Amino acid sequence: MGAISAAEVSYIEGGIAQNLRSDGRGRLDFRNIAITTGVIPQANGSSRCKVGGTDVMVSVKAELGNPPKGRPSHGGMQIKVECSPTANPEFEGRGGEELSLELTRGLERSFLGGPNGSGAAIDLSTLRIVDGKTCWVLCIDGLVLSSDGNLLDALSIAVKAALRNTGLPKVEVVAGGAEDEDPEIEVDDEESSQLDVSNAPVIITLTKVGKSYFVDATAEEESHMRSAVSVAVNRKGVVCGVTKRGGEGLEPSTIIDMISVAQQIALTYIPALDLQIAAAESVDPDS
Amino acid sequence: MATEFVSPEGLRLDGRRPPEMRHLHAVVGVVPSADGSALFHMGNTQVMAVVYGPHEVHNKAHQLHDKALVRCEYSMAAFSTGERRRRGKTDRRATELSLVIGQTLEAAIMTHLLPRSQIDIYVQVLQADGGTRAACINAASMALADAGIPMRDLVVSCAAGYLNSTPLLDLNYQEDSGGGPDLVVGYFPKLEKLSLLQMDSKVSIETFEKVLELATEGAKAVATFTREKLLENTRTLASARGHLKI
Repeated sequence: MGAISAAEVSYIEGGIAQNLRSDGRGRLDFRNIAITTGVIPQANGSSRCKVGGTDVMVSVKAELGNPPKGRPSHGGMQIKVECSPTANPEFEGRGGEELSLELTRGLERSFLGGPNGSGAAIDLSTLRIVDGKTCWVLCIDGLVLSSDGNLLDALSIAVKAALRNTGLPKVEVVAGGAEDEDPEIEVDDEESSQLDVSNAPVIITLTKVGKSYFVDATAEEESHMRSAVSVAVNRKGVVCGVTKRGGEGLEPSTIIDMISVAQQIALTYIPALDLQIAAAESVDPDS
Repeated sequence: MATEFVSPEGLRLDGRRPPEMRHLHAVVGVVPSADGSALFHMGNTQVMAVVYGPHEVHNKAHQLHDKALVRCEYSMAAFSTGERRRRGKTDRRATELSLVIGQTLEAAIMTHLLPRSQIDIYVQVLQADGGTRAACINAASMALADAGIPMRDLVVSCAAGYLNSTPLLDLNYQEDSGGGPDLVVGYFPKLEKLSLLQMDSKVSIETFEKVLELATEGAKAVATFTREKLLENTRTLASARGHLKI
């Protein structure tokens, strides 16, 4: 995006104040969201999500690992986001590192839960194999292919869809291992079980421009946002994580109001997304 | 060496015949904010190429007074291979491929028409199943065409190998790891010239000629497919603007 003139800035801000944005949307309207799953056959689960011109891809690979210390019957989750230079030439070489880190942390905050494992997107105890020795570790990799604003929201939708698409292979523990040795695990290639993502959150980012806030900012709108609050909410309206971005200070009452707006939106938005994800799952991917 | 890459009935591991290419699929214009972009699939290998340019050179020290500067960056997604990898972008293979793809495409671009400018080509591998080099060149070629950058000819690419005494076209990852030679060509279909030729492992001259011929034939088939896809894209754009007669 090139530089925007002062006249254009005031046009955009005026539009937002009057609930009529540049592309005709109201403040609480989302762009067209398209979700496909199973796009990476080599992964245990994958999805691709397009929100307007923003295009992201997420893959989930289940690897065998050790349970976290202090929680022997839990599994693990790791998230990492990369920004491809295809989205923006600025991401060439190491240019995209800062944004990648910001997006990674935003997702980690919303999906991984606290240090004791509570509040994670999925029930981590479903990933256990052998208490204290072996468990599944879900490695979630996100890739931003095209950027037109609202990357965090799009990534969160893609992560939820990819988790829903994930098939955990059935495992059999080979009996007869010594007490302090790693047990032998046989991974069944044929059968797998699905993960329960009904409580997984989705991030809704509210951007504040002037006195009003709106959802699903385009790159143009984001370029002069002063502050934004990203709220991770699940379908019951429970808040799973909050991030405030941008330099401008916000009054506490404003932040609380923004969070409650996000919760309100979530009550209809997330069930609709869940239906879309389920529909994507039931479509057989073309070979 | 015990793996049978070609069965006695003449079928390869994925059921193809030796001179058969994998299924090709391409989409033009997948990234709206870029000047040109394309998606290219060769079997399970999926590659996305995006072109930004021509634009002003960012680092004036690199500016060329008589032609355009062509830069290419190759990156692989963490989930692109069977084993999830955490490769940095500066690993040697990525650097080599960036150079190779960039040079192959630069040979096709009429850089003398765009002096003092810069053209950036970004290639992102989404899934790697052998033949990534070829898929990258094909995708980048289509992206350059989508960006309207003047080219002498399309550049298309295809790979071939030799296992169980049979020349095989378009190796997948398993066949690639089979220990036989792997030959990649970059080909100008109209000019009928080779822009790129790389081969590893050792072969006799007769075998080399056979494999080279097969790879070139494969490249010609890719050229036909690519040209058709680009024409289809142009037809769609033209009819969208109301110019129905072409």
